[in-house]
Amino acid sequence: MTAPVSSHPPPAGPFAAAAAGGVLARGVRRTFRGSVAVDAVDLDVPPGQVTALIGPNGSGKTTLLLVLAGLLVPDAGAVTVAGVDLRADPVTARARVGWMPDVHGTWDSLTSREVLATVADAYRMPRDAAAARVGELLELVHLTELADRPAHVLSRGQKQRLGLARAIVHSPAVLLLDEPASGLDPRSRVELRDTLRALAASGAAVLVSSHVLAELDELADRAVFVAHGRTVDVREDVQRGGTGGAAATARRYRLRALDDGALARALADLGAPGTPVAGGTDVVVATEAAAADLVARLVGAGVPLVSFAPAAGALEQVYLDLDDGERR
Amino acid sequence: MSTDLAAGAPPAGGAGRPAARRRPDLRLSARGLGTVVRLELRQRVRSTRWLVALAVWVAVIALVTVLVGLAFASEDLLGPDPVGQGPLVFSLIVFLVLSMGLLVSPALAATAVNGDRAAGTLAPLQVTLLSPLEIALGKLVAAWVASLVLLLAAAPFLVWAYAQGDVALGAVLSTLVLTALVLAVVCAIGLGWSAVCARPAASAVLTYVSVASLCFLSPLVFALTAPMVLTDEQVTVREQDFTGVTQEFDDRGNLIGEEPPCVEAVRTQPVFHSERTWWLLALSPYVVVADAAPRPPVDPRTGLTTFDPLSGIREGVRAARLGPQPEDYDFCTRSEAEFAAQEAARRERLDGARAVWPWGLGANLALGALGVAAAARRLQVPYGELARGTRVA
Repeated sequence: MTAPVSSHPPPAGPFAAAAAGGVLARGVRRTFRGSVAVDAVDLDVPPGQVTALIGPNGSGKTTLLLVLAGLLVPDAGAVTVAGVDLRADPVTARARVGWMPDVHGTWDSLTSREVLATVADAYRMPRDAAAARVGELLELVHLTELADRPAHVLSRGQKQRLGLARAIVHSPAVLLLDEPASGLDPRSRVELRDTLRALAASGAAVLVSSHVLAELDELADRAVFVAHGRTVDVREDVQRGGTGGAAATARRYRLRALDDGALARALADLGAPGTPVAGGTDVVVATEAAAADLVARLVGAGVPLVSFAPAAGALEQVYLDLDDGERR
Repeated sequence: MSTDLAAGAPPAGGAGRPAARRRPDLRLSARGLGTVVRLELRQRVRSTRWLVALAVWVAVIALVTVLVGLAFASEDLLGPDPVGQGPLVFSLIVFLVLSMGLLVSPALAATAVNGDRAAGTLAPLQVTLLSPLEIALGKLVAAWVASLVLLLAAAPFLVWAYAQGDVALGAVLSTLVLTALVLAVVCAIGLGWSAVCARPAASAVLTYVSVASLCFLSPLVFALTAPMVLTDEQVTVREQDFTGVTQEFDDRGNLIGEEPPCVEAVRTQPVFHSERTWWLLALSPYVVVADAAPRPPVDPRTGLTTFDPLSGIREGVRAARLGPQPEDYDFCTRSEAEFAAQEAARRERLDGARAVWPWGLGANLALGALGVAAAARRLQVPYGELARGTRVA
């Protein structure tokens, strides 16, 4: 975690952002034998924050991460990683980036401890510092008890956690994770979220690609949406409902009352007609302030309200809106 | 800035991709190399399968050695106290060990790169500070160490064969050293194919084809190209002059009276210019190992060296390198003494002939270096164009 701690969005200019670390990608394009995987992606991953990379299957997320990890040459575009130009100095850039692939190949004859020690060795970490770091990481991903057993006895979720530890052995300033939560049980997901938030809090720039939106809601500070290899939307401040998108965020809330008839009448009176759905009534509200106001009015009107909550996660809402646009 | 760049990007196909001009990453450090070697040895060798393979290997060589020993112990085969048994047994064991090594070594390296890629364990190494050379050489060294273990396990049988007598001690050493080097070459060729081919099955097949070509195809090509280097030339021959001589033979077919006199004559003869194609023979690992083994000592009972396969190959390739010799055109019948003298002169010339094995070894090592270079080139990231059928991770 060598990057400076920053809880603020990065400065607007590309050079300022590069100086601050993180990832700065502009106009990244990558093709495979004529088929376009990444067409034109702009991406900022500021230090101190978790950025979600969201898009449907085949939208170019994995290819983009391979470019950022220094495994693929972009056909066009400029990428700066932790202040290093990826094209000018790929080796230095690699030293500052951690990458967790979506496939979890493990050297299965090695123990977890040996796997991490090997990676530390490959990053030229001093031996004694590496041993301490490996112990610390095993503790972090709860593999200490299995540390000296061969990796092939690990479950899928445990291998995934070992993969995370492997990606952060060298304390990278930039961490790239490709679908890190797939295959994890609920407890492991919560722990993954806490780990990534802690890494971001210590100054790392974290990029998480996923299409499991529910968990990103609680994890990400920012969200970058890609479709067909292009950046289609960016949302800041995801934790508080999401701002700064291409379209204003009108949000759908789901209401439940003890008396559905009373709720429908009250909504009609307030000029916010609801749509009856299975499990309640949906209402579209423009802002969080308007939502708070609506709750107060409904309660004031004597509606026996038992639940008032977003019908979908903030990111899911954006994703579905974008996807709708795509499919129309 | 960004969209302009993307719009101005070269059309798909990668013709303008900067990777086409990338400089090779030639970093190499002892630490990086050691990291990869340790990883590979732990990953590949630490399995019971490998111990089983080693046990089977020793068992097969032991079995054949025992059979050879029994065969030669029986007086029915060569008679009591046969001449040249030691070198013959030694030659057989050398060929056995070399053949088994050439069979097993490709399996150790031929899937080193594409197998890792399929298992998803290659890219996590490539994103570290390890250089492509360190990964390629580390895999080579690990595979070589494994084949050296096999060779060492076979060494006691070579020593036993040496103990059968009449074998130069240098032959044991040269055999071990050159077999070890040949196995390194085989591993390097396998490594190269494993980096070039997308599928492990393809690289395994190509590695075996390459090794078989070196061993057998090159001598075959030598034989098949013989007509091309066979030219009719005027040469001075020694032959018997039968003009005016009537030969008579007794009941047993022995000549009665004097041999006709030997005369020199100039005749047009087909001449085999093997000195132009001998290098084809030198490519074979069998020739390299055989040619480097010192000659067995002269048998005190006959004054001649005995025949054994190793010496046979050595004399054959050295004669091929020397090309046509005067005694090839000497058609006069000779007395035993004359024959012995001529044979001694020929042998002296062959012994004086420069060795063939350095050329063969050099060519083999060059092929191995080519394999390592191909592997290192294919391991360098970031990738430009991906080989057909491969993924990054």
